[in-house]
Amino acid sequence: MNILSCEGVSKVYGSGENQVAALDSVDLEVDRGEFVAITGASGSGKSTLLHILGGVDKPTDGRVIVEGTDLAGLNQTQAAIFRRRKVGLVYQFYNLIPTLTVRKNILMPLTLDRKKPDEAYFGEVVQSLGIADRLEALPNQLSGGQQQRAAIARSLIYRPALLLADEPTGNLDQKNSGEIMDLLKLSNRSLKQTILLITHDEKIALEADRIITIEDGRIVSDERRR
Amino acid sequence: MWRAYSADYLKNNRATAVSIMTAAFISSLLLSLLGSLFYNMWKYEVERLRAEGDQYALMAMYLVRDANDEAPRLVFPLFLLIMGLASVSLVIIIHNSFAVSMQARIHQFGILSSIGATPRQIRRCLVQEAAVLCAAPVAVGTLFGIAASAGLLALLEWLVREVDGRREHVFGYHPLILLVTLLATGITIGISAWLPARRMSVMTPLDAIKNTGELHLKRKKHSPILSLLFGVEGELAGNALKAQKRALRTASVSLLLSMTAFTLMQCFFSLSEISTRETYFEKYQNAWDIMVTVKDTGTGVFEEKEPLSEIPGVEDVIVYQKAQARRYMTEEEMSEEMQANGGFAHDSGKHVTKERGGFLVNAPIIILDDASFMAYCGQIGVPQRTDGAVIRNLIRDVTNPDFRHPQYMPYIEPCDTTELRAQTGSGAVEISVLGCTEEVPVLREEYAAMDKYELVHFVPASLWSEMAGELSGAKKDTFIRVLGREGISLEELECIQGEIEEMLAGVYVMESENRIREYETNGRQFQGMMLVFGSFCVLLALIGVGDVFSNTLGFVRQRKREFARYLSVGMTPESLRKMFCIEALVLAGRPMLYAAAVTFFAVGGMLKASYMEPAEFLAEAPLLPIAGFMLAAGGMVAFAYFLSWRKMRKMNLAEILRDDTMM
Repeated sequence: MNILSCEGVSKVYGSGENQVAALDSVDLEVDRGEFVAITGASGSGKSTLLHILGGVDKPTDGRVIVEGTDLAGLNQTQAAIFRRRKVGLVYQFYNLIPTLTVRKNILMPLTLDRKKPDEAYFGEVVQSLGIADRLEALPNQLSGGQQQRAAIARSLIYRPALLLADEPTGNLDQKNSGEIMDLLKLSNRSLKQTILLITHDEKIALEADRIITIEDGRIVSDERRR
Repeated sequence: MWRAYSADYLKNNRATAVSIMTAAFISSLLLSLLGSLFYNMWKYEVERLRAEGDQYALMAMYLVRDANDEAPRLVFPLFLLIMGLASVSLVIIIHNSFAVSMQARIHQFGILSSIGATPRQIRRCLVQEAAVLCAAPVAVGTLFGIAASAGLLALLEWLVREVDGRREHVFGYHPLILLVTLLATGITIGISAWLPARRMSVMTPLDAIKNTGELHLKRKKHSPILSLLFGVEGELAGNALKAQKRALRTASVSLLLSMTAFTLMQCFFSLSEISTRETYFEKYQNAWDIMVTVKDTGTGVFEEKEPLSEIPGVEDVIVYQKAQARRYMTEEEMSEEMQANGGFAHDSGKHVTKERGGFLVNAPIIILDDASFMAYCGQIGVPQRTDGAVIRNLIRDVTNPDFRHPQYMPYIEPCDTTELRAQTGSGAVEISVLGCTEEVPVLREEYAAMDKYELVHFVPASLWSEMAGELSGAKKDTFIRVLGREGISLEELECIQGEIEEMLAGVYVMESENRIREYETNGRQFQGMMLVFGSFCVLLALIGVGDVFSNTLGFVRQRKREFARYLSVGMTPESLRKMFCIEALVLAGRPMLYAAAVTFFAVGGMLKASYMEPAEFLAEAPLLPIAGFMLAAGGMVAFAYFLSWRKMRKMNLAEILRDDTMM
């Protein structure tokens, strides 16, 4: 069953002679529970695609539907609520809020919705990510690996339809990269979490069920491995 | 290379340059204004002192007080306090302006340092940049400060132009003041620029490059009240304000100082005005319309009563002089009430001297023209004769310090004679007493104010001329109290005053005051003082608001990552706007609350010191000007946040998230 569908998605930056097409008629469908890796060289358009899927940016052309929601019709407030409830975003540089503790960072999407956390699920997530003992620390008191775990925990706390990870291991050493990938796989398998992972690292991409390659804003290959 | 780097940086970061230049301008303006005002105040006092030789007034002005002077004289301490607060805030302001602008460049200096720039080069670059940026604003600010002080003093001069007997003040300036002002400004700016420059120059290149100038907390903080009131936006706003504590220190301190100073000033002047009106204008409302002081006269001036009484519109004239003597009294002569109250036991020995089992007390003598004395006798129901004295038979309950609601009791037992002694020498006279009374003649005189044990004697001029030789304690001036018809207008009073001056000025050296004019002048003096203090408060508030503007307008650059994070996890633009509103509310509201708390306790203290009922003050409390000032300052803070919100709204979230320096 489709959880994500893109039809003819294009994104053009600039105008006139400075016009650059970051995405060019991208069609994509992702099933619930899939673990998809999107690879491509720097500047190929993979981050732009992720931002459009996450409701951070809008396509110049085309439709994006995530779990029945057409992102093109959302205003700024609706897009924010969509990001809060439907997608979990994980970035290379973690993007934790530096003035809040790890616990509050993780619970942020729920807090914004004035919802009480499911303590059992919260405990399960932080336990499995190995940050249960760092919940009262501030982000800058954590190592890079720990910060990325906190960011993943935050992206999972709302049980989103889609987890979008943009180079989540790009700023980590080999050991931590491996651990983060294991955690993403774990959440994919045990929580049936749909994951779209952007990476330029082939080794990391090989961990996914499906590998999509983008070049110059177009999908050039779509390989299902499992 | 450095010159080119600085020029390039300043060209591309005009907001930073403007912020520093504004801080330097305001600081030099304020220092120059303070210096010039203090110099002129000092100059005026010195000139007045030289002219009058009045040592006590000058000493009282500089806080050297007579221990018996109970009236709360807070003008000068308040002036010093406001000056002190303004000066302290200046140091913080400039220092912070530099610190904030330098903080924003740590990343750049990290890169420069990594390619070989020495700490000394960085330090020198920053200090030179500061010197270049501040030179013109300091020069202009100093000139504006001098001009502002000249303007303020001219305005004050105009406000108090009709105060009787005041010296005209001519604005003056001394090169030394200019030198001191420039030196103080230079040192302040130099230290302010050098401190953050030094801190930056000793950072390692790696630390500097890693620094993105982003807000962060060193330790976990809570904002329970904001959290409770506004939810997650409240908590985020509270934490953001805590993280910006350093950058917002100038704004917070200036707003706090200006609001506190303004509120205190308004309350203080309202209280003073009520106090002056009640203890002076209302108390003596019906006691005088025109007061004439005739300098260095003998008793001949008493003869002027008749012609003065004939001036159209004049209802009553009393011509009187004052003299000082002492009176011996025994314990038996004291009234029963006074004996029960401890007699002279409460005196420290300063006013009452023990002698031969009795006491020597001061006995001021009020010498009334004969006709007025006879009329006074008639008024109090004693024989209308001119061969004796009337004694004011009242003494204040000295055990009750409430000077606003004093309680009195009879001083002495009725007596037939009174023996007055010269203050110096052995002269003494015994005169008959026509009566002892609580009622005093209608004069603008305060009795037993400093020495509560004074036993006041009223004597007719003819009797005084007989006893003057023995007592010789007469003061040189003669006073003429003129009463007009009830409800007399200022114009009528001025007309009478003119005629009196015409009659006397050719013969005597004289000064005259009129009640309505004095009331108006007193009001203007209050306005003048409020104008000066109010200007300082406004200037302080401007500094605070200016800092809020420079800080919030730098938001887009400094806090865009922070806002991008909020938005990326699902915070709506409305929530972000709420956060802005909360920050503005806290920034403007906190100093308001602190100012209100300080004012509450300070006014409580002032009310206690002046024995005024709180309800009496509250009925005339300056709520409107205070609310106006607060709203204006708060409104400006809100406007600054509104402008930065408008800028923020245009932020492109995807673009910021794409920025790979985002950490």
